[in-house]
Amino acid sequence: MSLADAHMGIDYTIKNIESGDANLENFLFTLGCYSGETVTVISRKKRSLIMAVKNSRYNIDLELARAILV
Amino acid sequence: MRLALTGNPNSGKTTMFNALTASSEKIGNWSGVTVDSKEKEIRSSLCSGVEKLVAVDLPGAYSMSSYSSEESITSEYIKNEHPDVLINVVDATNLSRSLFFTTQLLELGIPLVVALNKTDINNMKGTKIDETALAEALGCPVVNTVSTAKQGLAELVETAAGLVGKEQKPAFVQTDTVSAEEADRQRFAFVNDIVEKVESREQLASAKTVSDRIDEVITHPLIGWLVFAVVMFGVFYISQAEGPLGVGKFFEGILTGWIETFQEWLGGRLDGANPFLYAILIDGIVGGVGAVLGFLPLVMVMYFLIALLEDCGYMSRASVVLDPVFKKVGLSGKSVIPMVIGTGCGIPAVMSCRVIPDERERRTTAMLATFMPCGAKLPVIALFAGAFFPDASWVGPLMYFVGIAIILIGALIIKAITGMKSQKSYFIIELPEYKRPSLKFAAGSMLERAKAYIIKAATVILVCNTVVQVMQSFDWELKLIEEGMEHTSILAGIAGPFAYLLVPVVGIASWQLAAAAITGFIAKENVVGTLATVFALTSFIDTEALELMGSGDTVASVMGLTRAAALAYLMFNLFTPPCFAAIGALNAELQSRRWLAAAIGFQLAIGFTVGFFVFQIGTLIATGSVGAGFFGGLIAVASFVAVIIGLIIKNRKA
Repeated sequence: MSLADAHMGIDYTIKNIESGDANLENFLFTLGCYSGETVTVISRKKRSLIMAVKNSRYNIDLELARAILV
Repeated sequence: MRLALTGNPNSGKTTMFNALTASSEKIGNWSGVTVDSKEKEIRSSLCSGVEKLVAVDLPGAYSMSSYSSEESITSEYIKNEHPDVLINVVDATNLSRSLFFTTQLLELGIPLVVALNKTDINNMKGTKIDETALAEALGCPVVNTVSTAKQGLAELVETAAGLVGKEQKPAFVQTDTVSAEEADRQRFAFVNDIVEKVESREQLASAKTVSDRIDEVITHPLIGWLVFAVVMFGVFYISQAEGPLGVGKFFEGILTGWIETFQEWLGGRLDGANPFLYAILIDGIVGGVGAVLGFLPLVMVMYFLIALLEDCGYMSRASVVLDPVFKKVGLSGKSVIPMVIGTGCGIPAVMSCRVIPDERERRTTAMLATFMPCGAKLPVIALFAGAFFPDASWVGPLMYFVGIAIILIGALIIKAITGMKSQKSYFIIELPEYKRPSLKFAAGSMLERAKAYIIKAATVILVCNTVVQVMQSFDWELKLIEEGMEHTSILAGIAGPFAYLLVPVVGIASWQLAAAAITGFIAKENVVGTLATVFALTSFIDTEALELMGSGDTVASVMGLTRAAALAYLMFNLFTPPCFAAIGALNAELQSRRWLAAAIGFQLAIGFTVGFFVFQIGTLIATGSVGAGFFGGLIAVASFVAVIIGLIIKNRKA
């Protein structure tokens, strides 16, 4: 499933990122957001969610959340 | 010797740079505040050695490969400029992300010292980092620092200076045989190993914090909007409106009182002097510059409040809240920060667009950012709102919300003209932890901007006002003109033709208003200065006095404007192209003559259209019939609309 369907407060392991945008995926990589790493959804809203990767919080829109498979 | 500050965005490089060099570069609690490199000598009290040390501040980056254009400034600088030592500012609260970049920097062969920054936050959270073990694992010295409190700086500089000329060995050696992605994975694994050894945490990274709870409210789709509106309205209200909370207006009253007393005193001493000299000194210089300076308190209060806002971490939250709406018009939440910075000054606003990765989005934001009224336009707003709408303190703040509306509509039009991007646009923004804004920093930022404002008033504005005064005192035969014959002056001659273009906006052909609008392109404060000069209103700066003189009626007879015309003229000045300096910054960011020409044309058309509708509709409501120049203006607006529709159709076909 994708991060968009993930439960809040549970640690997931990223399986793959399929955004079709190599530049963005490289960027996510440098943040520590890549397959094999842990991601947690801190809160979710209608069009976006807040995820915790390593020790930082990021707000991402649902399009990006759908591209992150866990 | 040059020491280059490198590290992740929002790790505190610029705060450290400011502390090291006693400068006041812009800082803020979000990623991507610094978009350009800066160099300055380090304070001598920090350098014990004899050699001159220079610190270089660089934009933040997560790695040597760049995602947005300001990041490439960093990697290019390090590769091409050969700094003597790298100071790697590491955010101690996110060690593993920071060290990824550190291991890349260590491969360059330039001696490196790690400044383990934000250690105060770690202490608070019970996170411990064994810096001796870290130094050993990385093969470089590690110094604990708190750049906001100026802790550890002397030790850092001393350590860095001691490294000059030494060799740096890489901590992680990349194997050549694997793919780039596999190599990066190995690098992260190497970093994670180090972090596990040197770091101990009491608090789980994924546990909900106070910051998270605040975010649930502040980034809520509905409440978040309300918070944004209240915050922005609060900033404008406190700085500009009359009332118990109107701090800015309170100090403005005191300052304008002083300026007037000075003007009267000087006027009394010059009684009987050469009338031309008297006019230049009293009306041109003291009156014009004084009119601009009188609004200094409003500008200062606003800068103070914006500095607090930038420092506390709210900016990225505002981006999150506004992202869905900005997406609808083809932009994203990333365009929000340039917009908020634009309330201070258009130049940094345009430059801050660099962090937007998508080119079309970046250019669109840059060309629209200056629709947000800047600090220099604030005196213009305050003057008109105070003189024509003394009973409605919301008129000033309203101008900013009109600015936001124009940005959204403008983005929609540009989206229709340039076409929707084929690529999906994803939005990701880091939410830094909230921090209590520093009053000391906000006060420093305010004084810095106040200094710049006074210097501008004493140079550019003073020169412009003198030139305006001279030009309106002489006719084309260079003869001093008599009182009441100002319309034969050089200034009237030059501004006259433009005055006809303004008829659909103000209802009359007034060379004075045209001249003020034109000088506004040099600096927007000039609109106020020039109006004060050309109407020779010695008490012009005191908007309250105008009010006492009989409210709008007197002002109308002095300036020859109705309320609708005054509002229209104000909005015309706010929403036409910004000053030349901002246009210069726009040129640098757009990197395209076509886009620049389109931006200026668009801004002119928008300013005229908004002014036209405000004046004509306002006049229709007030008098029951449309104002002067209606048909001429309508033709101009219609041709503007036709050009846009033409461009949209052209794009649809292509």
